[in-house]
Amino acid sequence: MSIEVRSIRKRFGTFQALKGVSLTVPEGELVALLGPSGSGKTTLLRIIAGLELPDPPGSVLIHGEDVTFRPPGRRRVGFVFQHYALFRHMTVFENVAFGLRVRPRATRPSEAKIRERVMELLRLVQLEGYEQRRPAELSGGQRQRVALARALAIDPQVLLLDEPFGALDAKVRQRLRRWLRRLHDEIHVTGLFVTHDQEEALEVADRIVLMNEGRVEQVGTPDQVYHHPANMFVMDFLGQVNLFRGRVEAGRLMVGPWPLAPQPADLNGHRKARLFVRPHEVEVRRQANGSPGLPARVVRIHSAGPQVRLDLALETGDLLRAELPHEAFHQAALGLGDPVSVTFRNLRVFAEP
Amino acid sequence: MRICWLAGNRLQAPNGAPSAPPGSDPPWVRALLIGSGLTILGLVLFLPLAVVFVEAFAKGVGTYWQALRDPDTLAAIRLTLQVAASAVAANTLFGLAAAWCLSRAPFPGRRFLEGLIDLPFTVSPVIAGLVFVLLFGRQGWLGPWLAERGWQVIFAPPGIVVATLFVTLPIVAKELIPLMRGQGTDEEEAALVLGASGWQIFWRITLPRIRRALLYGVILCNARAMGEFGAVSVVSGHIRGKTNTVPLHVEMLYNEYDFTGAFAVASLLTLLALGTLVLKALLDWREGGAGTAPGDEGGTEGEH
Repeated sequence: MSIEVRSIRKRFGTFQALKGVSLTVPEGELVALLGPSGSGKTTLLRIIAGLELPDPPGSVLIHGEDVTFRPPGRRRVGFVFQHYALFRHMTVFENVAFGLRVRPRATRPSEAKIRERVMELLRLVQLEGYEQRRPAELSGGQRQRVALARALAIDPQVLLLDEPFGALDAKVRQRLRRWLRRLHDEIHVTGLFVTHDQEEALEVADRIVLMNEGRVEQVGTPDQVYHHPANMFVMDFLGQVNLFRGRVEAGRLMVGPWPLAPQPADLNGHRKARLFVRPHEVEVRRQANGSPGLPARVVRIHSAGPQVRLDLALETGDLLRAELPHEAFHQAALGLGDPVSVTFRNLRVFAEP
Repeated sequence: MRICWLAGNRLQAPNGAPSAPPGSDPPWVRALLIGSGLTILGLVLFLPLAVVFVEAFAKGVGTYWQALRDPDTLAAIRLTLQVAASAVAANTLFGLAAAWCLSRAPFPGRRFLEGLIDLPFTVSPVIAGLVFVLLFGRQGWLGPWLAERGWQVIFAPPGIVVATLFVTLPIVAKELIPLMRGQGTDEEEAALVLGASGWQIFWRITLPRIRRALLYGVILCNARAMGEFGAVSVVSGHIRGKTNTVPLHVEMLYNEYDFTGAFAVASLLTLLALGTLVLKALLDWREGGAGTAPGDEGGTEGEH
């Protein structure tokens, strides 16, 4: 079942949380709402769930039906809260059964049916044998899965997750991430999850919606947004990135007194440019007479890790982070304070706003 | 370094001098502080408690029972129970409603209202009583209107209930507001999304989570309602056997030099106080072990 939101605005007092967001989540996909805190992603999720009303004339459609003014309990959405919001006075079983027990008598399943459904869900989230525990007796990852089972119990049309892994430690988070992806492939419910963790979004989601300051900056597959960022925000937000300034002079892109590249076509009429380059796309060579690239000096070496990370000081004063494989680092025989020349395998240039 | 220090400290201990942690006071200071604390406690708490029972039984158990079985005393007890029951019931409802409004629904003037809720605690009970006399008394604002319909409030049980209600008004709400505010609305929202109706959310989520604080409030409210003297004294009229509550009756007996009677009835109030403390302790003990501490976001370990 698809989700569609149309020109959603939301103001809290003087704070404009959402400034006109339109978005479609195709049926069966798992989509990430990614952005820094305060970008409005949680507000958007709560509006879709019906926990907040959008300012008119925004509307929310689930499977083509306008549900803007439908109360949350009648939207058939599964919602997993950031801190799970498990009912702490109930057992795991009762938590999962809650959505079935509160149905009006006419549509409420029998006790046996409820039991069957709850046990089936607990099997799905790998928590058989835990049904008599209370939330306080579970680990963070287990609580998270109870919350998921509880949300799935009402057979939701869409599943909404608010920072589903935010409160977990790094190891558990990685495992649960892969598990959620597998689960989604299994049950194929349309899912939308909020995260501020780009790694999470890139790994789990079919599609990523990048949000910033109440607006959507880019929508695309993880591949698209990572390799073809639509603008400076996306470039800056996704992955590690170096940012420095350049200018356009006589058809060439200059950094300080050094020419770097021919001027890109879309910079016509601009004089100032911002340059972005990812650390693994920086090439470092020992400086020799006539070697191309920008002159720099090695100011720090971190060699503990899968790659060697170098901090370089450009002669313009900018600091640059480079990453290279250990072999390449040893071949180049670089030491602290060595003069080097820097070139870029892949440089993205945006006009200075 | 730290381990060495600890070991050294432990080695010292058997050599006589108690191994006080660094920065603590010398033994004589502690003895003095504890001693004076206990003395004051004894003088103002335990001694009066003992006096009540010693005086009550001064002329034997027979006299004690007789004092309690006096028809006027029984009437006072009956009235006190009725008044307390009405006040507690009304205040439980009010406390729930007020706590819900003040902690859940943001509306203009909320802070003002929250400040106002403390008023009964800050106003002298005598003033509270007088206010009700001025409102409902024969010459009061609403008095004539009420009298026309044959309703007597002042110098009658309804007045006592109203005065008690006023004095105990904040107790339940005060227990609930900080708790409900701290708990947040996450669980209620979760229930809402799962399709629960307002009543279902109240009965199944909100109420169970505040149950202990509510019981606490009810117990305290009850103790205060039964023991209230000042406001009730003004509105009651002290009609023996009719509008005398237990505390008023104690005073009346005392003023009539019936010390055994006064202390016998007073012992009931003292027992009420002790019973309240025991109930509170029981609540703490029962709920304390249930492992439902508010901050249970902790464990992220033990994952399979």
